[in-house]
Amino acid sequence: MDRMIYNAMAGAKAAMQRQDVLSHNLANVSTTGFRAEMASFRAVPVRGDGASTRVYALETTLGHDDKAGPWNRTDRKLDVALVGKSWLAVQGLDGTEAYTRAGHLDINAEGLLVTPNGLPVLGDGGPVTVPPNTTVQIGGDGTISAQGATGRPTTVGRLKLVTPEAKLQRGEDGLFRAADGADLPADANARLESGVLEGSNVSAVETMVGMIAAARQFEQQMKLLSLSQTQGQVGAKLLSPT
Amino acid sequence: MMRSLWIAKTGMEAQQTQLDHISHNLANVSTHGYKRSHAQFEDLIYQNLRQSGAPETEQTNLPTGLQVGLGVRPVATSRTYTQGALQQSDNPLDIAITGDGFFQIQRPDGSTAYTRDGAFKVDSTGQIVTNNGETLLPGLTVPPAAKQISIGADGTVSITTAANPTPQTLGQIQLASFINPNGLNPQGQNLYLETASSGAPQVGAPGSNALGSIKQGFVEASNVNVVEELVQMIQTQRAYELNSKAVQTSDQMLQRLSQI
Repeated sequence: MDRMIYNAMAGAKAAMQRQDVLSHNLANVSTTGFRAEMASFRAVPVRGDGASTRVYALETTLGHDDKAGPWNRTDRKLDVALVGKSWLAVQGLDGTEAYTRAGHLDINAEGLLVTPNGLPVLGDGGPVTVPPNTTVQIGGDGTISAQGATGRPTTVGRLKLVTPEAKLQRGEDGLFRAADGADLPADANARLESGVLEGSNVSAVETMVGMIAAARQFEQQMKLLSLSQTQGQVGAKLLSPT
Repeated sequence: MMRSLWIAKTGMEAQQTQLDHISHNLANVSTHGYKRSHAQFEDLIYQNLRQSGAPETEQTNLPTGLQVGLGVRPVATSRTYTQGALQQSDNPLDIAITGDGFFQIQRPDGSTAYTRDGAFKVDSTGQIVTNNGETLLPGLTVPPAAKQISIGADGTVSITTAANPTPQTLGQIQLASFINPNGLNPQGQNLYLETASSGAPQVGAPGSNALGSIKQGFVEASNVNVVEELVQMIQTQRAYELNSKAVQTSDQMLQRLSQI
């Protein structure tokens, strides 16, 4: 009986955490280049005396969903969307190289190519600087060219694009890194499209259905909790001296 | 108590900010020289409730962890400085920039502001001013005798008078460009101010140094695309609804919890 109540509690807690993960995905349903977090329950048996009925449920996140998000045409020259499983290299706040799919780029006052939150975007030789008074274009292979007054575009660098073989892992800052933390080599064959932004790959339908399922599951655990309460009461009544 | 309530709240707030931008764009659909802007979102930090790969026993590691993100936030307003459509007008002082660059405007406090709105007027002293009466730099005075004003593609302003049909040059309009126009601080009244992130203005004659040229008799219309705004509005509304559903579901779960 006491085991049942703890089992049901663990189940309810896992359903609540599932709800947290799903809410986060739903909150980012229109975040550029967002990758949905995948969640699953894991069975954790507790072995001991007697019948092994104590199997707790734990909520776990398996990592991100790496299917591509929808492309939206913006016609802004500094918006890029990556083709296939390639990623854009940026410099994280801790100075390490990190990867993102959000290709909304800007130029800051120093002429550095940056992401909206000010992280420098990396080219093949570190951060990319763009000369003032020029129009910047990004080619299909990440080549950045600046066109000045003379009308002749000059190449100022090339965005570092990587195509990881193993799945990247999301850090606490929302940027992705390789599992071993090492920098990935630039991929010469990676391609991008400029004037396009990749939307979030969260499926609203899937998330909503998952949410309903989690809510119902939670309800069932609540039912089990109240059931174990009734059971306890009946047991206590049987044993009580009358 | 329950993270998902607060996470869904960040989602609703973000969509609300986006709708504010959309409404502002639609309100300015016929403002001269207006540039549309939208909010950009980013995901908030993640909480590692259980680190994947952490040792569970001496021999085994956790195959997967539990990482919960904390929602979304609007990180930047991105303004799109694409060229607006040129509308013909019969006013000789309506001028439009085709290409990059801003007109320089002297504000009453002496500072310089920048604008794409080229619907200028002449005030009682003959100065070329904006609709709000602020002077176009460099200050050009049109003499009362002027019959016809012509402004060339390179910004040269010249006049002819009834007595003298040979054009007399008054001066040249200068344009300013910025390395990061997204960093400009919009002031309302179609004006922008320089900030640390926009960089210093690069002033030059129209048509030089990648600056646009000037077209007399045209005004630049707003670059708001109504269809795009409406589609974005639908998307924003639905995303808002979905997030409110998440709040509702979390609420129902808590309600159920309080009933046992």
